[in-house]
Amino acid sequence: MTPSPKFAPAAWQPGIEMVQETLDNGLTLLVLPDRSLPIVSLQLHYQVGSRNELPGITGISHLFEHLMFRGTETRGPEEFSRILQSRGGEINAFTTRDHTSYFENLPSEHLELGLELEADRLLHLKLDNDTFAPELQVVISERKLRSVDSPLGLVEEELFAAAYTQHPYQWPVIGWDQDLRHLSLKDCLAYYRSHYHPGKLTVVIAGDADPGQARDLVARHFGAIPNPGAPATHPFSEPPQRGERRAVVKKVSQVEALLAGYHVVDMGHPDYYPLQLLATILTGGRASRFHQEFVRPGKAASLEVELAPLPFSAQDPDLLVVVAVAAPGSPLAALEEEVWQSLERLRRDGVESLELARAKKLLRSQMVKSLAHNFFRGLLAGLFHLKTGDASRANRILASFEAVSEADILRVAQTYLRPDNRTVVTLQPVSPEESASLGPLA
Amino acid sequence: MPNYIPEIHQATLPNGMNLLGVEYARAPWLSLTFMAKRGSETDPPGKAGVADWAAELLTLGSAGRSQLQLAQDIEARGASLSGRSGFDATLISLEGLAEDFEEHLATLAEIVQTPAFPEDEFLLIRERRRAELVQQLQDPREMASLRYLRLFFGDSPYGHPAPGDLRTLDALSLADLQGFYQREFTPGTSTLVAVGMVEFPTLVREAGRLWGNFRGGGPASPAFTAPPDKVCSPGIYLLDRPDLTQSEIRVGHLGLPRSHPDYFPLKLVNYILGEGGFSSRLMTRIRSDLGFTYGIRSSFSFRRAPGPFIISTFTPAANTAAVVQEIGRVVRDLRQQGLTSQELEEAQSYYVGHFPLGLENPGGISRLLLSIDLFDLGRDYLQGYCEQIRGVSLKTAAQSAQEHLHPESLVILVMGPAARYAEALQELGAVQFLEAS
Repeated sequence: MTPSPKFAPAAWQPGIEMVQETLDNGLTLLVLPDRSLPIVSLQLHYQVGSRNELPGITGISHLFEHLMFRGTETRGPEEFSRILQSRGGEINAFTTRDHTSYFENLPSEHLELGLELEADRLLHLKLDNDTFAPELQVVISERKLRSVDSPLGLVEEELFAAAYTQHPYQWPVIGWDQDLRHLSLKDCLAYYRSHYHPGKLTVVIAGDADPGQARDLVARHFGAIPNPGAPATHPFSEPPQRGERRAVVKKVSQVEALLAGYHVVDMGHPDYYPLQLLATILTGGRASRFHQEFVRPGKAASLEVELAPLPFSAQDPDLLVVVAVAAPGSPLAALEEEVWQSLERLRRDGVESLELARAKKLLRSQMVKSLAHNFFRGLLAGLFHLKTGDASRANRILASFEAVSEADILRVAQTYLRPDNRTVVTLQPVSPEESASLGPLA
Repeated sequence: MPNYIPEIHQATLPNGMNLLGVEYARAPWLSLTFMAKRGSETDPPGKAGVADWAAELLTLGSAGRSQLQLAQDIEARGASLSGRSGFDATLISLEGLAEDFEEHLATLAEIVQTPAFPEDEFLLIRERRRAELVQQLQDPREMASLRYLRLFFGDSPYGHPAPGDLRTLDALSLADLQGFYQREFTPGTSTLVAVGMVEFPTLVREAGRLWGNFRGGGPASPAFTAPPDKVCSPGIYLLDRPDLTQSEIRVGHLGLPRSHPDYFPLKLVNYILGEGGFSSRLMTRIRSDLGFTYGIRSSFSFRRAPGPFIISTFTPAANTAAVVQEIGRVVRDLRQQGLTSQELEEAQSYYVGHFPLGLENPGGISRLLLSIDLFDLGRDYLQGYCEQIRGVSLKTAAQSAQEHLHPESLVILVMGPAARYAEALQELGAVQFLEAS
């Protein structure tokens, strides 16, 4: 039986169709049509994240993301979410180091409503102390959840604070507790005026939409919004690390753990691809090196090597992070030593061709699966555009992974996984009494 | 747009096993799941984890291949294999690129039909679980949720954690796992679900060849459908964790089985109460008006037997008593005053509008098929879903809130720095302190 072309895997094309336009006010529009289901993913990516903050106002980008839901001149707090959700939409937002993103995955018949509401909150956001004060408390509670009370939250904050001495990636997206407590409505309004305008906005419409009609709708709702021009910024860079850095976090904990970060590359750098494959060879799947060496035999409770996946990789050079949790009752120091030895062997001997082939197929397979989601396709195109200036890179991911050789893996392992390029933070368990004697957690 | 709702195909294999499939064209993907319709509810008393460990052990080597060989072969195709058990069912899933359809189907058959139950892997699972469970208890949210189930259901079949319990890990033996497999993996109570870029006739042919002779064991345990003999008495229970800065709060009572005729009205009521994000009453009151939490939600676990209804949230310690009090007030209001027609319409249009989003990827469709099969919802379930939602009247929904929400018999667990709010909670009702174990 010959399968119909609809069900023939070999006939499937992974390329994402993209129609890109720039409005006169600087707004970038990317339309990714896919007419097979009556749904659309509407995404607004603003080019503002914690990288745009300064000491003293850390966390303001993320706090502002919350404030965008607190009402406009004609709509009450959270009405934005209520209206779109009642049409079946999934509504949310997230803030990263490089951007703040708002999205609505909707039945396509409500696309215009989504655009109208997004334009309304960009133009007519209404903020006063009655809405600001409770939202600030919500964010302070969120910080406790994500950083203070979460098992490795403070360790991760310490890692980035130690690894970056000059680049804004040194502070957490959620912000420092002290800064959050002192943020004012006035700070937020000033931040809004500088960063929320069409010149810093990429709109993505992925799914059941006609590019021409989508363009008209976006022009109708956003075309007249003025662009005040971007404030002068200068590129940030972190000087090369000149020796291993170490820190300790003491906390009530049942386990000993460590996070080790190596400075690597940004999203647009060609070495991103061999580095992601290297991370997959180390901890992607049960056949991976670290799973077989450490996790399966119980030497580590868990051991992961993480490099933010596409399209969430950072705009500036990021950290590749080893997260190791010791098995109960076994010392962390011994585990750490064995992990470094294993990495040294890899840096000396490289990887086997079968390991690389497996990692390539795993990453290809994950990408193919994700490409079925309009939301994911939209993120790929929108965030490649925002962080590298080239959305079409999204269509070269599979080829870029495929082109990596064993020699590339060896080279990136030798270049980046050097002890001098490493920052290690360990979580050292203490009793509740000792924890209390160290002062309040914040 | 033409009818976008996928057709569910069904066939019965020669051995009586059920086969359900959806042909999927958005990406060259295949999601395969073998479901044995018995799960962690069959774990013997004091042996939490038997079903779930058995499911994992199946994925760690077959009669013909070691764990390493199996992992290498599967991952060389970019595929992933998992075995897990929850309440009511055990799932062995393999998903990967559709170009490798025949290999995936054959590998899954090998794993389910010719297990090896290697002793060394069993011992390693135990140690890995010990480590995972210790880690899990590090997370206050996980810890509070687990403790709540134990507090609420006690020794009844839904009261233990499916992955195992630190206190009883050492009681499990390899024979327990083999016993579970031999009893529950049998064609008459199993289903194979396939969603992917494969035509159904091809699937039927290959599944018949690879699965049609599977005899399995049995007889399967009787399906667990009864409500528990007893649940925890209503009241406030405190678990002291002086090291935390916030309180984790769980509030609930017994819910309904999936087969209950009020499923749809209650689903809509629960959306209005606490499932509907910023549209929900709990979120509006406790987050938006008071700023007391980052998130709060309510959920009914609809299972074969009545599962729990639970409201979950957390708050900085100082707000604890106020949050507990407000939750009670919001539930009471909804039960007594009912809901508005606008609230009901919004909940209905949410579920109707959201429906196609669940059909975008094979994993989502596969989950729908599994629950259609497990709860006998019928092959026309997807076609009729939106009508069922739209058909709920304001009167039915209000009756359902009145009948199935019980603000007077809430079991409330608060975990956090108790010294900072125990007194305030005592003003709301009798408080009992729980032991830390």
